Amino acid sequence: MSTALPLRVLFLVAALAVIATPRTVRAQTPPAANACRTCHASLTDARLATPANVFAQQDIHRESGFGCVDCHGGDATAADKARAHEAARGFKGVPAGQVQIATCARCHSDAELMRRFSPRQRVDQSAEYVTSVHGKRLATGDTQVATCASCHGAHGIRLVKDAKSPVFPTNVAATCGACHASQTHMARYKLTNGSPLPTNQLAEYQRSVHYAALTTGNDLSAPTCNDCHGNHGAAPPGIGSVANVCGTCHAVFSQKFATSVHQQIFDKGCVECHSNHAVMKPSDEMLGTDAHAICTTCHNGKDDKGAVAADAMRGGIERLKTALDRSGALVARLRNAGIETGAEELALGEARVHLTLARTEMHTFDPGHVEPVIAEGLKTVANVESAGARGVAELQYRRRGLALSLGAILLVVVALAMKIRQLDRTLR
Amino acid sequence: MVQRVVDWVDERVDLSGLRHFIAEKGVPVHTQKIWYYLGGMTMFLLAVQIFTGILLLLYYRPSATEAYESVQFIVTRVPFGWLIRNIHSWSANLLMAAAFAHFFSVFLLKSYRKPRELTWLTGILLLFLMLGFGFSGYLLPWNEVSFFATKVGTGIAGAVPIGGKFFLRLLRGGDDVTGATLSRFYGLHVAVLPALTTVLVAVHLLLVQRQGMSVPLSVERRVKAGEPLRQMPFFPHYVLRDVLTWYVAIAIVAALAAFYPWELGKKADSFAAVPPGIRPEWYFLAMFHTLKLVPSHVLGFEGEHLGVVGFGIAALFLVFVPFLDRRSNRGENSPVFTVLALLGLTYLVTFTIIGHYAR
Repeated sequence: MSTALPLRVLFLVAALAVIATPRTVRAQTPPAANACRTCHASLTDARLATPANVFAQQDIHRESGFGCVDCHGGDATAADKARAHEAARGFKGVPAGQVQIATCARCHSDAELMRRFSPRQRVDQSAEYVTSVHGKRLATGDTQVATCASCHGAHGIRLVKDAKSPVFPTNVAATCGACHASQTHMARYKLTNGSPLPTNQLAEYQRSVHYAALTTGNDLSAPTCNDCHGNHGAAPPGIGSVANVCGTCHAVFSQKFATSVHQQIFDKGCVECHSNHAVMKPSDEMLGTDAHAICTTCHNGKDDKGAVAADAMRGGIERLKTALDRSGALVARLRNAGIETGAEELALGEARVHLTLARTEMHTFDPGHVEPVIAEGLKTVANVESAGARGVAELQYRRRGLALSLGAILLVVVALAMKIRQLDRTLR
Repeated sequence: MVQRVVDWVDERVDLSGLRHFIAEKGVPVHTQKIWYYLGGMTMFLLAVQIFTGILLLLYYRPSATEAYESVQFIVTRVPFGWLIRNIHSWSANLLMAAAFAHFFSVFLLKSYRKPRELTWLTGILLLFLMLGFGFSGYLLPWNEVSFFATKVGTGIAGAVPIGGKFFLRLLRGGDDVTGATLSRFYGLHVAVLPALTTVLVAVHLLLVQRQGMSVPLSVERRVKAGEPLRQMPFFPHYVLRDVLTWYVAIAIVAALAAFYPWELGKKADSFAAVPPGIRPEWYFLAMFHTLKLVPSHVLGFEGEHLGVVGFGIAALFLVFVPFLDRRSNRGENSPVFTVLALLGLTYLVTFTIIGHYAR
């Protein structure tokens, strides 16, 4: 407490100094002269030369007309190093920690300014950052936490929609993992109960259905770290709000779960059954009291109401699946035999929708909600099967008709052949 | 009863000339006489097409919103509609096969030589009309495959160097394949092409009856040397043989219709992505695959334009074959045209097979 206060005051002063610096924004017009780049590019020290070279290649700020002095201060027109780096000319060197946040926020939190470059871009990043775990720790003086440049880069910054940007959806996990998967980096952090902070989140996420959808499925809307944790306001979702996080995308499941008995019991909401980072593709085997069923974690025995309910719901789903497989095979057989099955295929599609609905209703954990949906699906399948039986009868009728016709044609052909032979004999 | 009807007609319209013609008409008998049946077979399959086509017309609706559904109705709800539609589809393919076989047999036997130039000319035009029937009929069910194949096909027609754009718009009824294209193809399929076909078939048959069957050059030379030409009476000897082959053909068509029904597929959707494996009917495959193989630019010309012009020249050559092959007109062997016919046949068969298996 005694050391934190002076540090906070120091950061506040630094931030105020940055904010008070007169703006040198020259939007969309390249700087007239850039002595910074001329000098830095020729330096042999890579630490000093590389940023200038990278900034000169592809950087959204440079392309929008911003120069080195807009972040670093100083005088880009001065020919000698001393004048260019004069504190009186606003030179502040490498912005780090709170200074970096304030440097970026100077433009990115200015709605009027941002409107000129990207009217739809949010301007609350720095406000969100203050609420993040990163921001809170930075405020306590922890300079190892992520700041703007940790994720976006400092020089060579690209738009978020640029596939090469470290914060493009497919790159986010690796960017977060650079720190969070590093045991060395995370060693200094502990959970509230004093245990070490896990570093397996990236490895677990990479096994998940979400990661597969994002990378192999090319679905950029599939969730990555920031979709659940937030980006600028990054923090672990609190217990109790997990269902809300998952419900952002899985809205119907979330609604069903909210009405269930488990809503009150499950501390971690959806995570209790589906895990968090390693979310696997759900299967019907998760439900019931089989060896692979998750319900058995809490529900066991014939007298357990939960086990009975789980078995009832699983049984209904399996009945509908079996009926769908059977009628699907029948319809496929008829289609291959040339019977038009468009209406039956449509009905089968409807029955499959009922299977999906049953799997959704299951999240109420109430067989009373699942059974009517299953019954409706089975009724549709029964109609398909009776239409299929008519199709089989029609097929047999066609085959019999063909056999009779071919028999009749064969008789005529034989008769004609005999007549021709007879005529040929008389011709000779 | 039949005799009484004939007598009744004879009394009013003198049938003696016709009776005499039938009684006197003979068909040459030689080792190559089997090829004579291909003309009759093509004719019979065309009759099947007309008959089943008229039945389909009773229910078919030529609009983008109703065409697919009406065909679906025909094959599911109309009694024996499935049979009629499948016979129409299969018979169309067998008709094309018979027409090509008839064309190559006539070409190789040099039956086009004097005095049968006009018979050849009408036959070639009928072959082109049959291809037109196939192309226009393919779109009528308005399913996904036919929609995109027509898009590709009319696109090729649009590659004609002079007037191609106009021709494309004329065929499509606009810049793209739409309901307007379907209306046009329907009109072509059930009115324009049948009218032209009726006239040409009438002339073709009249010429065949008037000039009699052509005989191979070797047989003709032996006849000129004084050897008698063996013949069989047209009626009933030849007619019964013809009828026998027709029965076999209808048995094959019925079996194909029952065991290998023509798929209706999905309804055409102009906004859907082009499904993989889009290709035209087999009788256009050789041409389609050739155009795929032609480089995009050849000697400064667009490859597709050159390909289309090439096919145009080949078609024109076929029309004028009787006038170009002077040796066979003199009764001499004509090996150059035999080789050309064999090359054409090899090309069509090879490219059709390659085109079928090409991705």
